[in-house]
Amino acid sequence: MPLDMTDEEIVRRTLADKEAFAPLIERYEAKLLRYLDRLGVLVREDREDILQNAFVKAYKNLNSFDPTLAFSSWMYRIVHNEAMSFFRAKRARPQVILSEEGEALLTELRDDESDASAAAELRLSQEELGRAFAKLEPRYRDALILRFFEERSYAEMSDILEVPVGTVSTLLYRAKRALREALPERTRS
Amino acid sequence: MMTPMHTHPNDEPFAKRVLARISDEHLTPRPRWEFVFKNYVFWSLGALAVALGAFAFSAMLFEVENVDWRLALVTHASLFAFFLDAAPFLWVGALALFLLLGYANVRRTNHGYRYSLTTIAVGAVLTSLTLGAALYATGLGGLVEETVGAYAPFHRPILTEERSWWLAPEKGLLGGHVVSAALGATSFVLRDFNGASWNVDGSDLRTPDLAAVARGGLVRVIGVPTSATSTVFHACFVIAWEFRGDWGRTPPPLPLAVIASTSERSSAAARSEVCRGIRPYAQLRALDETGL
Repeated sequence: MPLDMTDEEIVRRTLADKEAFAPLIERYEAKLLRYLDRLGVLVREDREDILQNAFVKAYKNLNSFDPTLAFSSWMYRIVHNEAMSFFRAKRARPQVILSEEGEALLTELRDDESDASAAAELRLSQEELGRAFAKLEPRYRDALILRFFEERSYAEMSDILEVPVGTVSTLLYRAKRALREALPERTRS
Repeated sequence: MMTPMHTHPNDEPFAKRVLARISDEHLTPRPRWEFVFKNYVFWSLGALAVALGAFAFSAMLFEVENVDWRLALVTHASLFAFFLDAAPFLWVGALALFLLLGYANVRRTNHGYRYSLTTIAVGAVLTSLTLGAALYATGLGGLVEETVGAYAPFHRPILTEERSWWLAPEKGLLGGHVVSAALGATSFVLRDFNGASWNVDGSDLRTPDLAAVARGGLVRVIGVPTSATSTVFHACFVIAWEFRGDWGRTPPPLPLAVIASTSERSSAAARSEVCRGIRPYAQLRALDETGL
């Protein structure tokens, strides 16, 4: 199968031949596993189980895929919902461990600081950021992960979280405020 | 719920494992029509809820329009008591419920999540209110209130409710149909809502009251019963009882020449001592002058 085929073309082909689904799985496998990791599914087997479920669900519901939205958004939505079901079934709170990729979020928080000295103070370790992150409500954490770690646009986030774009803005604003409040005392202005 | 996994060795490529599971479980994509149908169902349920909201609003309008707030203190001890009896709680609740159902259904359509609560709520409220006003104008509001409302628990249709307020001659409140009237309207016969006939003494009536009697049909009479047992009633005020938003109920005028023969009675003249004791006399007099 040509590598330059769009997601939508592959979806169309998959409806006729399930083997055509493989390139789509390969295209998103790593990205979605990383997303699950960021959501707090720390065990690799769990991540793979969730992702496998998500792809199977996507295959069964392929006819409901709406080409007016990006396939990646649709897939992220399914994975996100599967992860939430996983946490609910396990009655577990996601354990978020942030890697060095939190830089975009820190930059954003720094940019939000009107006071230059306060912005300079916002240099924290990944550990500190991770601890603050863990204190956030799941919906705030999800929003921050999608925006600053997965680099999704507001419109994509709206499609993934199934909320209006306006709600995405509000979520992000509140999430950043909550994160700033959860940060160690010395970093706050 | 997680389904059992790892049916294929973990060293196999991930895509291959997913495809193997699809094959093992004989899975196929669900047909497109199922999703299209589901989407239509949610849109239809949303539209139906808004339409039902419109019916509720038309009934609410009918109820509000047919309650005479000016007479609140005539029929009730306080405005609050009147509000409890007259406010369209059922229809406000029904409208809110249908709007909520409309929102919930639209939200579950394919792109429903893209609309904010405000957008859907404002759209649904405006549609329900506009449609409801149109239904009320066609007379359907009354039909909904009187028929559907009759079956609702804890609710009495407003016309039934009001009839009960005016079936209290011992309190000086009498409602019913003018059956006949003597020339000059010195007296008239009224059939109340229980079918009993009353001889109503109209000697204390003034021009606006007589106009109501002359018009015939349904009237409300405020006065004093001559005794606890008789069916003779001394009328102090007569108010025409017109229904709004309910076609076909406006009565034809009585073939009487009452007004012409009583034109010498002034609307400003005070009534007899018998009437001055009724509550709230001063307010009724004021209303009488401005036109009841």
